[in-house]
Amino acid sequence: MDKKTVSTIAYLSRLALNEENGEKITQDLENIIKFVDQLENANTQNIEPLASPLEKTAKTRNDEVTAKNRKETFLERSPKSNDDYFLVPRVVE
Amino acid sequence: MSWETVIGLEIHVQLSTESKLFSGGSTGFGAEPNTHVDLIDLGLPGVLPVANREAFYKAIRFGLATNAEINQTSTFDRKNYFYPDLPKGYQITQMALPVVGKGSIKIEVDGEEKIVNITRAHLEEDAGKSIHDLFDGETGVDLNRAGTPLLEIVSEPEISNAKEAVAYFKAIRQIVTFLDICDGNMAQGSMRCDVNVSLKKSDEDKLGTRAEIKNINSFKFIEKAINYEIERQARILESGETVVQETRLYDSIKNETRSMRSKEEANDYRYFPCPDLLPVVISDDELDEIKNNLPELPDEKERRFIEESNLDVSEAKIIASSKTMANMFEEACDKTDDAKLIANWLVGDISALLNKDNIDLEESKLTSSNFAVLIERISDKTISGKIAKSVLEEVWESGRNVDEIIENKGLVQIQDESLLEEIALKIIENNPSQVEAYKSGKDKLFGFFVGQVMKETQGKANPQSVNEILRKLLG
Amino acid sequence: MSIQFKTINELSHMLKNKDISNKELIEETFSLIDTNTHLNAFVTLNKDASLHKAEELDKNPSSLALAGIPIAQKDLFCTKDLRTTCGSNMLSSFIPPYSATVIENLENAGCISVGKTNMDEFAMGSSNETSFYGNVQNPWGDKLVPGGSSGGSAAVVAAGIVPAASGTDTGGSIRQPASLCGISGLKPTYGRISRWGMIAFASSLDQAGPMARTAEDCALLLNEMCSHDHKDTTSLDEAIPDFTKDLNLPIKGLKIGLVKEFDLSKLDNEVVKVFEESKKQYESLGAEFIDISLPNISLSVPTYYVVAPAECSSNLSRFDGVKFGKRCDDPKDLEELYIKTRSEGFGDEVKRRILIGSYVLSAGFYDAYYKKAQQVRRLIKNDFDSAFKQVDVIMSPTTRGGAFEEGSKGDDPIQMYLEDLFTIPANLAGLPALSIPNGIVDNKPIGLQLIGNFLEESKLLQVAHNFQISTDWHKRTPNGDVKS
Repeated sequence: MDKKTVSTIAYLSRLALNEENGEKITQDLENIIKFVDQLENANTQNIEPLASPLEKTAKTRNDEVTAKNRKETFLERSPKSNDDYFLVPRVVE
Repeated sequence: MSWETVIGLEIHVQLSTESKLFSGGSTGFGAEPNTHVDLIDLGLPGVLPVANREAFYKAIRFGLATNAEINQTSTFDRKNYFYPDLPKGYQITQMALPVVGKGSIKIEVDGEEKIVNITRAHLEEDAGKSIHDLFDGETGVDLNRAGTPLLEIVSEPEISNAKEAVAYFKAIRQIVTFLDICDGNMAQGSMRCDVNVSLKKSDEDKLGTRAEIKNINSFKFIEKAINYEIERQARILESGETVVQETRLYDSIKNETRSMRSKEEANDYRYFPCPDLLPVVISDDELDEIKNNLPELPDEKERRFIEESNLDVSEAKIIASSKTMANMFEEACDKTDDAKLIANWLVGDISALLNKDNIDLEESKLTSSNFAVLIERISDKTISGKIAKSVLEEVWESGRNVDEIIENKGLVQIQDESLLEEIALKIIENNPSQVEAYKSGKDKLFGFFVGQVMKETQGKANPQSVNEILRKLLG
Repeated sequence: MSIQFKTINELSHMLKNKDISNKELIEETFSLIDTNTHLNAFVTLNKDASLHKAEELDKNPSSLALAGIPIAQKDLFCTKDLRTTCGSNMLSSFIPPYSATVIENLENAGCISVGKTNMDEFAMGSSNETSFYGNVQNPWGDKLVPGGSSGGSAAVVAAGIVPAASGTDTGGSIRQPASLCGISGLKPTYGRISRWGMIAFASSLDQAGPMARTAEDCALLLNEMCSHDHKDTTSLDEAIPDFTKDLNLPIKGLKIGLVKEFDLSKLDNEVVKVFEESKKQYESLGAEFIDISLPNISLSVPTYYVVAPAECSSNLSRFDGVKFGKRCDDPKDLEELYIKTRSEGFGDEVKRRILIGSYVLSAGFYDAYYKKAQQVRRLIKNDFDSAFKQVDVIMSPTTRGGAFEEGSKGDDPIQMYLEDLFTIPANLAGLPALSIPNGIVDNKPIGLQLIGNFLEESKLLQVAHNFQISTDWHKRTPNGDVKS
């Protein structure tokens, strides 16, 4: 697994690979991918992927407002907020 | 070097359901920040989405109105990326099997009709809002909007210039408002548009590299952004360079598009089927019910107004083109069986006022019910047509009740024949020379007498009665 | 009378006969907790609320099925206003504003949640060695792992501190620790128990389930845990039977399948002997063994290690330091907020799985890995469907051996992954499966796994219960005693 692939995957996952763990994790990933490569051997022609073990369809809900205003509860349990908003470092678009 | 422009539009329409696509949070606009947030909207650990059936019904209405394939079984996928107003770190959307497939819509540009094909229309959840400029060095996140149902309508890349793009956008807006699936309120962000623009040589089939301009929410800006982008890309291509495939933002102040600062190579959304949502199936019965209850579209309304209300083509077209105006017409017709009268007012005075103020009818202070009352009062002769014009102007400015205005300003038309006769006799008495001149053939002087009676009654005399009485008295 | 090692039925009796008051029961439970802190099985205790509930019950007795029964809840279930960590640093101060449906169900049945049990971080692990809150000890031996990810829940039941605990099972996380700790644990059919409030690891595989001293107690718990929940559209709305009704029906004529492809010759001799003894026991009860083939079963582990990481990589994206959970100190920009928070908040195994997940879903690899794995998953499910046309239940050892030592699986994650060889297939197919103790080797318990067809928990429990009324492995305790 080349370095660029690993660093792209790490960035997509927002995880840092550094001096300490970078090599080990890359090695682990390579081993695990090699391990799962066995799947190639299976004959899956015309087999429909199984997304859920349930052979059924979704129940849906009626269009009703059921949620209460829980702004205070949510904001006070957040890592950083003011009276109205969750706060993050300034995003530049 | 002749370049052909190829444009495709992705329009995000906020569906007018009461609650969100996957939760019971309210979709109401303008609430205090973070007060319309359900546990599910917040993306708390352990929460699960449940699909809102009404969103499907609204999406299917769009499909039916655009002669599209309806996928009665549709599925949801996750689109994975990180952004502060995307609470779960993924958006639930429909990638593989959308509820609405290929359809088409007719647009009109400079009197010419064109069909634009639609690739698909799918359901997805909206993100929250990031507020960048309010807090020192920080961005505030409001999740009220997170989870609101969107219908993303994707056109084929068949639009050739900015005018067509605007016409297409307007046509979509007309349909979604008539279908009652979206309020069409651009200012509130009920409809947003991403535009894909690319250029190619006229004699080539291969499409050029496209740039995507994101999140435009006004007709004017769509046109400007496209025209700027066409020029920008032409300049690049003429100088032998290649256009970069990227996302851009339109800056309305500088009238230019600029590249968004994001790592393009990391835009891998890793779509996969959402394991928390099983396929949603809309039954044949449900589909039939939607078909049978489909609101009337502009074309149908136009035809009906012409046939049933005897409007002429141009009147019908104008009134049927806006849902608000069509509603206003229909409501007034319910109360007062005088379609022509109503049409005249809408096409005449009211359209003139709209043009003068450069607004849409839904932005005005005139309500359907108030308009219906105005028509009623003209029809039952409480006020004259002329007085009605001034009442309308007052309503337009203040939004006050028609009856209130009539009462407060004492505008009730004088119908009392004996009183009018009295006044007419007085005028005749006081103007003997004009009477003589009229009787000796100066017909135009009739207007003088009418004018005098009107003046005497501060314009409140019923004009027809005045006419009849004066004719009787003057001979 | 000591409450240690008592079953639910035994404790219910004691309460009804007033041999012990509700308050005394809870006090003694906390006493046992205090004398067993070396197990490191609890992350958060719920003493005050538990005592309060017990006092209420003493004042106003209840006829609810599980009234007054102390239960330990795996720290993966959201419990309203009670810290829920999922074994992670990321949620070290997370106080959920709501409770999971299964917690509500158990508490509405009268259970008293005495605390939240330690677990592998975000349910990823088979030894409870990945928790941010330290390893859990297996009561059967020092430095032995209890299994994972429901290690804490298994340990507290095995140590007799509580009669029951809730667990979750995605690839074997109830059955494997049940096996290593000598207790009974069941993973129901996918969808039997609502996932509302269960912190998601792999959504199409996760299921909650009971862990207790006997199959009968598992049935009692299952009765209360199952519900159709409109808040979880993957929860079944099939009728929920009384899972205790058929326990005592005889199993004469029962057809038990043995999977050809599970090559037991590779296991330790002593472990194979235990399995053979259990077979004999079942034959003496009238069951018949039939060899069956699950041709694609050898691909179960690689399939799982594509599907589960893929789903978890997405499920764990919500942990971004913005709305809840941990945030890093002084992030200078948004990128740092995400990267530092997540790198500090997650342990290595979680990071590995997120990375694998992102990889197998990424453009260019999706078809070869994720789509392929979902196709193989269907093949595996089809294999089971065919097998259940020939047999009533399938039997195998739960794990390859008894509890292993901490740190003995070394640095290679794949060695750990192979722990779940026998348990993973049932999760992939969504089938119910349980583990009951069936032997002891080197003073380490061995477990027997039974896999049933869709919705056939009652049959599984019946088959397990029949074994337990004719053997006493489930009565063994870590101190060497056999309960009466």
